[in-house]
Amino acid sequence: MRRRRRGTTRRVPWPVGVLAAIAALLFALPLLGLLQRAAWSSFWHDLSTPEARRALRLSFECSLWSTGLCVVLGVPLAWVLARGEFPGRALLRALVLLPMVLPPVVGGVALLYAFGRSNGLVGPWLYDTFGLQLTFSKAGVVVAETFVAMPFLVLTVEGGLRAIDTRYEDAAATLGAGRWTTFRRVTLRFLAPSLAAGAALAWARALGEFGATITFAGNIDGRTRTTPLAVYLLLETQPGAAVALSLVLLAVSIVVLVALRDRWFGIRR
Amino acid sequence: MRRRPVLLLVALVVAVATAFAAAPAGASRPAAKPSGSITVSAAASLTEAFTAIGEKFRKRNPKATVTFNFGSSSSLVTQIQGGAPADVYASADLTNMDKLVAGGQVTTTPTPFARNEMQIAVKPGNPMKVTSVANLATIGTVSLCGTTVPCGVYAASVLKKATVTIPESSITRGVDAKATIAAVAQGDANAAIVYVTDVMAAGTTVAPVVIPAEQNVIAVYPIAPIAASTNPKLARRFIAYVVSPAGQKILAKYGFLAA
Repeated sequence: MRRRRRGTTRRVPWPVGVLAAIAALLFALPLLGLLQRAAWSSFWHDLSTPEARRALRLSFECSLWSTGLCVVLGVPLAWVLARGEFPGRALLRALVLLPMVLPPVVGGVALLYAFGRSNGLVGPWLYDTFGLQLTFSKAGVVVAETFVAMPFLVLTVEGGLRAIDTRYEDAAATLGAGRWTTFRRVTLRFLAPSLAAGAALAWARALGEFGATITFAGNIDGRTRTTPLAVYLLLETQPGAAVALSLVLLAVSIVVLVALRDRWFGIRR
Repeated sequence: MRRRPVLLLVALVVAVATAFAAAPAGASRPAAKPSGSITVSAAASLTEAFTAIGEKFRKRNPKATVTFNFGSSSSLVTQIQGGAPADVYASADLTNMDKLVAGGQVTTTPTPFARNEMQIAVKPGNPMKVTSVANLATIGTVSLCGTTVPCGVYAASVLKKATVTIPESSITRGVDAKATIAAVAQGDANAAIVYVTDVMAAGTTVAPVVIPAEQNVIAVYPIAPIAASTNPKLARRFIAYVVSPAGQKILAKYGFLAA
């Protein structure tokens, strides 16, 4: 109940403590539940079945592509949001953050109506002009994952950009550096930590994507059946394998969160 | 000061315990008409028919509340085995019902209440010119239910009877019958094998292609009360309504065959 921090004594009021404990249990109990159901003896065997390996390989491949896309497209977007002065900026920010609060299945349906080959807004054109079909393809998985993951990167990088003291950039400019050089050698240097944090968060989110993927990209073994989809399917036939795959996703999430604990939460001891 | 959290916890426990104790007591109070609430876990292919049955049932029993939980029969079994509070289970096959009977979650003999057949659903206007099960092997992505979901098992036996093999890389698996047909109706799958009733419910968003009787299968739908039900009276009442002429009439309207 009492913890000494920086020489001041803070007492947690007891109702706050009790409610916080219940909240913590809500997070901790499902974790314990998953861990106690794990069949550790067959763990590696479960992960090395051909279906599990295909799902894991596909998940890592697609989520890394998606993270790359998030960085390439998300950093400029974050820059525009943080530094740009134009009407409708608030609206643009709301639009960018929408996938964070939208149910992923709804996101998948929306993607279908935009990029679907038969019912989409631009899908038929993409297919007729470039022969590109996103549905039922790895590219579709990457698009679905990018859709749900990019807001995490944009939000983090925008925050990072706002925290940069613009006088450093001004100084670089007065010393003769062009805009691109200033961006590359000053802005990006300061931005590196939040860029890394945003990319890691986006990657973790992409790796765990389920709803948008199954709705938009489908559920084809070896092509669009990522690990979360495999977990859902295996739960009925091979619960052991489903738990093993879940633990892999869990471990990745924990590694990302531990690596980011200072950056993302903004609390320094 | 230090004891107060303990007191609050005790109060919380007491409050929660009385709340739980009160619920079954209220539900089992004798009444002229069944009251309280039940949850019916039903196969996704029953969505439209059971929703209609539920509305009629509520009109007859205004004190009763019926909540539906639609999903694949196999995932519903997983939920019930995991302790999900269900009072009635309606499956799209006997296999999944048998799992609950074997596990002791169902202790009465399940009642068959409807039958169904499989059909091919294609895009409106049948642009890929599908006329037979054999065509499905060569038209690109085909949507089938998951391999443990009843409609997936039935689709597999249709393909087996027709001696047709669709490469796994051309099969997208829906989590239940509704998701499977949605891949054709809303998405880019060229065909799906689903129930006749699903094709009917999808209306003009898909077109049907009939599977000949010698390649088709008959799906039998059983219904049973769950042993752990907190309102067995209302559960039995609902099942009685489903198998009654009124309930059967609604099922027939949605394309189900009489059991």
